[in-house]
Amino acid sequence: MSELERQLTQLGRELDWLPTPELSHAVRERIAPAPVRRRPPIFRRSLAIALAALLLLAGGVFAAVPGVRDAVLEFFGLQGATVERREELPPPPPPAPLQLGERTTLDAARDSLGFDPLVPEAAGEPDSVYVQRRVPGGSIALAYRPSDDLPEARSTGLGLLVEEFRGDLAPEYFGKTAGEATRIERLRIDGDRAIWLEGAPHFFFYRAQNEPFREEDLRIAQNVLLLEHGRLLVRMEGAFDLDQAVELARSLR
Amino acid sequence: MHQTIAFRTAWVITRSAADAEEAAQDAFVKAHAALGRFREGAPFRPWLLAIVANEARNRLRSAGRRAGLALRVAEERRPDDAVPSPEAALLDSERRELLLAAIERLPDGARETIACRFLLDLSEEETAAALDCPRGTVKSRVSRALDRLRVELGEEVEA
Repeated sequence: MSELERQLTQLGRELDWLPTPELSHAVRERIAPAPVRRRPPIFRRSLAIALAALLLLAGGVFAAVPGVRDAVLEFFGLQGATVERREELPPPPPPAPLQLGERTTLDAARDSLGFDPLVPEAAGEPDSVYVQRRVPGGSIALAYRPSDDLPEARSTGLGLLVEEFRGDLAPEYFGKTAGEATRIERLRIDGDRAIWLEGAPHFFFYRAQNEPFREEDLRIAQNVLLLEHGRLLVRMEGAFDLDQAVELARSLR
Repeated sequence: MHQTIAFRTAWVITRSAADAEEAAQDAFVKAHAALGRFREGAPFRPWLLAIVANEARNRLRSAGRRAGLALRVAEERRPDDAVPSPEAALLDSERRELLLAAIERLPDGARETIACRFLLDLSEEETAAALDCPRGTVKSRVSRALDRLRVELGEEVEA
């Protein structure tokens, strides 16, 4: 560093900079959506989590939110999904039917979606196919009945549930909240970024843009692999272990 | 912490306190919305500053030409600044005024470069994000801006 560079750096320290205005309150208000009637408590929690995630990253913008900074222990992100590890989890929601969308066929789904859906060849053809239009490009769910290779997951009653959508168009559609007992592992599968969640049940929710949070969008999930595959975000849930999940991911065609 | 650097970076670009505040605020809101696209493991500050600088530039474009930085040295130092580290020897007042005046005379681009890299003490990566140029370009822009500043200061330009 030259003497001039050193002097300029020092000058920066000695300058009478304009005082930084208080930004956190206004930012918080703008991030919070318009109030809706009977907003479910978990919505406030998920909002707090999202705020806390930014707080952890931004180093203090939301310091005015008491207690929130400590609530999130870790934050993981893929294009299309966010995962937060929290000190405490909300009470589990009552069991409810899966909200997978409208029943269709794989061929019809291929024609109607904004992407080519992938099928894990290792699991064969899905037993049922569903599409939803809550995100740009739509989303698909492939459901597999339990089998010897894919035992029933308590969370879904299925052997395997695969969901896919354009992560580049809906960067936060899938949200996950896990406690300290859940194993969360970052990994790469043939170069694709992935997150593996295993062990204690964790919470899973959809976060559709411009829609208020719906209580039925929250449910307990079992072991899950999140995979960023090109523009797609692929989510696989089941009672399988990581090796089997990786094998399924590698067979996506 | 990042609130301050975001606001100051926006101010260096817009040279308006009101616009800088708006730009920083909008940037944090957009950063929140784009959190899912943030590459885990990547440094956060350059990502945030790129959003801040983009917001600031949008305001600058719509506002037209702006005044200089109108920088001045703090008259009273805070108690925690009273004992400078050895490498941070304080500048004498005459030198400070000379530097400030020379910076004010620089063309916009050079002034922004000097302000980001040195006055704000941004890293090369952060400077690249704030100036919206590749990291490799930062070195040459800094070098040219320093040469220009030396000319303004009446000093010899380094070969």
